[in-house]
Amino acid sequence: MDDTISIPSLLQLLWLIPAIPLVASAVDLFAGKKLGRFAGVVASAAVGVSFLLSLRLVADLVSLPVELRSYPQHLFDWISVGRFSVGADLRLDVLSATMILVITGIGFLIHVYAIGYMEGDPRYGRFFAYLNLFVFFMLLLVLADNYLLLYVGWEGVGLCSYLLIGFWFEKIENATAAKKAFVTTRIGDTAMLIGLALIVSKFGTLDFDAVLGAPGDTIAKGTATAISLLLFAGAIGKSAQVPLHVWLPDAMAGPTPVSALIHAATMVTAGVYLVVRSAPLFELSGVALTVVLIVGLVTALFAATCALAQDDIKRVLAYSTISQLGFMFMAAGMRFYTGAMFMLVAHAFYKALMFLGAGSVMHGMHEETDLQRMGGLIRRMPITGWTFVIGALTLAGIWPLAGFFAKDQILEIANHTGRTWIYLLGTLGALLSALYIGRLVFLAFFGAPRSDEARHAHGSPAIMTVPLVVLAAGAVLAGLLLSTSAEGTLARFLEPITGPVPHGEGLSTLALSVIATAIALSALAVASWIYASGRVDWLGFRERLQPLPRAAASGWYVDHAYSTLFVKPGISAARFSAEVFDSKGVDGLVNGVGGGVRRLAAAGRRIQTGFVRSYALGFFLGAVGVLVWLGTRL
Amino acid sequence: MRTPIAYFIVLSGVLFTLGTLGVLLRKNALLIFMSVELQLNAVNLALVAFSRMHLALDGQVLAFFSMVVAAAEVVVGLAIIVAVYRRRGTVDVDEARGLAG
Repeated sequence: MDDTISIPSLLQLLWLIPAIPLVASAVDLFAGKKLGRFAGVVASAAVGVSFLLSLRLVADLVSLPVELRSYPQHLFDWISVGRFSVGADLRLDVLSATMILVITGIGFLIHVYAIGYMEGDPRYGRFFAYLNLFVFFMLLLVLADNYLLLYVGWEGVGLCSYLLIGFWFEKIENATAAKKAFVTTRIGDTAMLIGLALIVSKFGTLDFDAVLGAPGDTIAKGTATAISLLLFAGAIGKSAQVPLHVWLPDAMAGPTPVSALIHAATMVTAGVYLVVRSAPLFELSGVALTVVLIVGLVTALFAATCALAQDDIKRVLAYSTISQLGFMFMAAGMRFYTGAMFMLVAHAFYKALMFLGAGSVMHGMHEETDLQRMGGLIRRMPITGWTFVIGALTLAGIWPLAGFFAKDQILEIANHTGRTWIYLLGTLGALLSALYIGRLVFLAFFGAPRSDEARHAHGSPAIMTVPLVVLAAGAVLAGLLLSTSAEGTLARFLEPITGPVPHGEGLSTLALSVIATAIALSALAVASWIYASGRVDWLGFRERLQPLPRAAASGWYVDHAYSTLFVKPGISAARFSAEVFDSKGVDGLVNGVGGGVRRLAAAGRRIQTGFVRSYALGFFLGAVGVLVWLGTRL
Repeated sequence: MRTPIAYFIVLSGVLFTLGTLGVLLRKNALLIFMSVELQLNAVNLALVAFSRMHLALDGQVLAFFSMVVAAAEVVVGLAIIVAVYRRRGTVDVDEARGLAG
């Protein structure tokens, strides 16, 4: 048998995967007006081609033996200073392969949906230019072969997120939300940048191979902890984890396809990707993994309680996203990276599905987002309604949908590795998830219509419903195809990067599954009884519980606290610099120098009499003075 | 017999003082100008006297220089005075004080 394995030559086209959306973005940016409606087609086609190419390249990658499934591509030398150099290097390995399939696949469906959703918008071309630019940066982020290129993608997606949240910037709230998202994530990004600097100072390079190969040989445990925590701070910001989660609910100001693509399926999962990618550093530290676990757990529970009290359909989904990302970090914190990645893929399907469904609902109800004014919509828009129900069941974790396996595996690992408290609290999180998504579904789609818009809502065009159906199919099938256990397809595929799944003893998988399903079903039943049966006055019930629901609706006043603790002192400090330090201190100094020179000149001009004789006397006295001085020196 | 150097220096000093007083006290530009010439010539006298005392020619050469320069200066200076007179109808320097601060 031939033991030299030829690398499939198609893999050389790797750079095209991010390049195609970039070119399409430029086309839409400069010719968007001329293209008119065609701009959306160009953008969707670009992402579609990228997706097909990704599929082909991943197939080529899989055809290689496991130990060779990593294809680096050096594009050009980027920075070269002394012995430190960074190249524009891409790498296709099993982890980035998973990510690019999610990004281009789900991204394509969302682009198609947006063709219908954004129709008639005055900045139609620009929207797709931004969306494609986002896809480019996201692909760059996951394909990068060193931390610096990853950081370029990281900041690039942040920029696109800012541009798209504030896409309808005529409304001041949208512009404010965009600014808030940018500034909040920037806090994490700054920490991450310090982490990168620390890596450079310790390793002398930013290449993944050199840093992640065997970090224990180069750095001590404490350094690893510092680097990991700094990187994780970046992940906290980008993935909207407590305490930097506040930007994501407000980011719902952007158009709904943006919420689906950026704030549910891809960008916010970049933090999870970063942690999984940097796993060797986190593992070396140990402490960092515990921090990841705790932050994930706290976020999962915290955001789930907030989601339970929101009345805005998109804000429920936003808090739900935060909570689900918390679950992913929990998995990563337990070294169950495969579980994190599986949940990431599954979540991308069902959350994109639900966001697009919410957009479809808004489309049919004149941009109404208030759950209190919905009800009974499943009769008015059956495709949107039933696909949304599938998404909700997936999120609630009903067998055999993808969400069931995702959540169940994470809780199983918690149970099997002896983390009883994590298991119990995680189960509580799962219960809350089923409860809030049940509340959303029953309020919006079942029961009696509660407004004229709801009574006269209309379904969406095919270009919007077809992506919903495809995503729903994905949400159903992803669970069956990818994995049914910790030894599943995805776990084996990712093993070269993530290592084997942790093992342990605990309750049997069957028992855990039964518990999880029972909890999810009972939560859905309770939600149906409260919100759709019509026998419970849920608004009155909520009034009796005050002030708890009001606090949860406001996100437990975290925004208020930040406003009091940071924003207002910040504004005061800025005002002090502007109005006191600058206008009185700095300007005072400058004006003082100017005024002083003026006063000196005013005194000096008196000498200038214009009388020639007095000048001559000046010469004379000067000459005498010089003579006298010379005389004393003789 | 040589005239002692002190005679020349005293005469030079007297001439210079007269010139200086003229420059400081006169109002007529023409007279101030003449006083300046007197000062110059006082200095020339001193230069030539010292030159002879030291039997060196440098001082005399310098005196010639200063005479040539003074001649050029007279041309320019008188032209300015004539221009001032044409413009103002007077050569009183106290009247020409437009550059007062």
